[in-house]
Amino acid sequence: MSPFILATLLFALGLGTMITFASSHWLLAWMGLEINTLAILPLMAQHHHPRAIEATTKYFIAQATAAAMLLFASATNAWLTGQWDIQLMTHPLPVTLITLALALKMGLAPMHSWLPEVIQGVDFTTGLVLSTWQKLAPFVLLLQLQPTNSTLLLALGTASTLVGGWGGLNQTQLRKILAYSSIAHLGWMTIVLQFSPSLALLTLIVYFTMTFSAFLMFKLNNSTNLNSLAISWTKAPVATALAPLVLLSLGGLPPLTGFMSKWLILQELTKQDLMPLATLLALSALLSLYFYLRLAYSLTLTVSPNTLIGTTPWRHPTSHLTLLLSTSTVATVFLLPITPAIVTLFSLLGT
Amino acid sequence: MTPVHFTFSSAFMLGLTGLTFHRTHLLSALLCLEGMMLSLFVALSLWALQLSSISFSASPLLLLAFSACEASAGLALLVATARTHGSDRMQSLNLLQC
Amino acid sequence: MSFFMSLLLLGLVLGLIVVASNPSPYFAALGLVVAAGVGCGILVWHGGSFLCFILFLIYLGGMLVVFAYCAALAADSHWESLGSQSVAATMLVYGVSVGVLAGGFYGGWYESSWLTVEEFHELAVHRGDAAGVALMYMPGGKMLMIAAWTLLLTLFVVMELVRGKNRGALRSI
Repeated sequence: MSPFILATLLFALGLGTMITFASSHWLLAWMGLEINTLAILPLMAQHHHPRAIEATTKYFIAQATAAAMLLFASATNAWLTGQWDIQLMTHPLPVTLITLALALKMGLAPMHSWLPEVIQGVDFTTGLVLSTWQKLAPFVLLLQLQPTNSTLLLALGTASTLVGGWGGLNQTQLRKILAYSSIAHLGWMTIVLQFSPSLALLTLIVYFTMTFSAFLMFKLNNSTNLNSLAISWTKAPVATALAPLVLLSLGGLPPLTGFMSKWLILQELTKQDLMPLATLLALSALLSLYFYLRLAYSLTLTVSPNTLIGTTPWRHPTSHLTLLLSTSTVATVFLLPITPAIVTLFSLLGT
Repeated sequence: MTPVHFTFSSAFMLGLTGLTFHRTHLLSALLCLEGMMLSLFVALSLWALQLSSISFSASPLLLLAFSACEASAGLALLVATARTHGSDRMQSLNLLQC
Repeated sequence: MSFFMSLLLLGLVLGLIVVASNPSPYFAALGLVVAAGVGCGILVWHGGSFLCFILFLIYLGGMLVVFAYCAALAADSHWESLGSQSVAATMLVYGVSVGVLAGGFYGGWYESSWLTVEEFHELAVHRGDAAGVALMYMPGGKMLMIAAWTLLLTLFVVMELVRGKNRGALRSI
């Protein structure tokens, strides 16, 4: 792809999300989402591989349907109440429809099945963009809705965490595992969205940091399935030593950053008298933890039979730029002690 | 609920149902998307006309421009799928399933 | 007026039923043409002659040519025409369910919506929708810029998507 076209597409990708951020009218928000979808399509299909084309087609159909549903719901809202503002949604029917459309756009549980296939079909960089940047615009729209139907959000979130855990158990492909991990994390955000929007935003940012690190780590190892993880210590020993920490941080174990969001969400849910839901969420995190542990196991504790020469590629100079990876890995592993500062920052942002 | 509102809602829902349940050809799915966009165009224009909201009556045009963009991107994907998979049948899009 | 309007609304729903009931793409395109034509009729009866004109041009002038081209690309060995069994059954199911829904909402319908805004000045020179569209040149100029930029972006997107590498069924020899 020519660099000029690449720059144009990346600019449009940012522009679409920014239009959605800045809009207070549903039509403009819809336009931002459409620009966003249009701009990511050639980036996904840039290698013209059959898998990439297929993933692009599936992504396009899912996103176009979700965008049309969003606009239909806002048109219904305009016919019923006579206004187009995002923040003034009063009728429950359009709010429900819009929530479902945004869930389809983000890949929340009953509408999730396009996400693993799409992420499986593209390379790690585009998959990273899909599972981080492309979630921002729908998530911000969801933040701005007045939640009149709290049961729907709770149901979507619970189903997402459970499906994200269960779906990942049977996978051996890393990109599908990361997609299911994305579904599960989005479920956590959706559950806490109506009780504390700033906490949902915090969870989103923490998830971005962790998934950034995980995607870049696998990209550095150049491994797309579980088997090829076993030789990753020959390629990058230090990164391989840190990778289990990143994965366990995604799983949410205590001394790591990923624990922060899960801890605060469970605390918020107990404050809202939702003990059974909090228990269910904590248990569903165990499902996800199982496949993260399996990844960590095959990454560090297995040694595949290899020749002597095959064990030393890490001595060769590499051309990988690892500044982003190291920064995000440090953030993924060590941010838990400054939780109070981060919580204060996000609650200031929320007000 | 006015009859017009019911009509465009049911037209949109029919398009959505067709897109969801009947997926022999990719082209049929794209046509269903176009049908949904057509009903949205009618909805937006009639909203502007019935409330005589003059400043809103440009928005159906913007909708039409964006739906044309979407349709052309869909057709480009159709051509790309025909290049890589040999046909536009939805059944042949099975390389990525679990 | 009310009777004719009902016919037009029914025609829109019927067109979408034809599109949604999964016939071969030719017939689906035909249903879309019918639905677009009927939609133009609805817009004209509501006084939006300029919007109707735009819809007519875009759908019947631009989009259907492209769809006919692509229907030729996606040739089928045996057609699912409108009379074939599965399509007719699906159409029947959709028609009945829309009818049942309409019956359910029938009591709540009110007739005030039939009076359109422009009804009493049919002979006026300025129509509301044309004036509104003209607003896009000055106060809505940013929207015009966004739409134009998106169309340009779509050009790049389409060119990148259909650019031929030397693999696949269609390639240069």
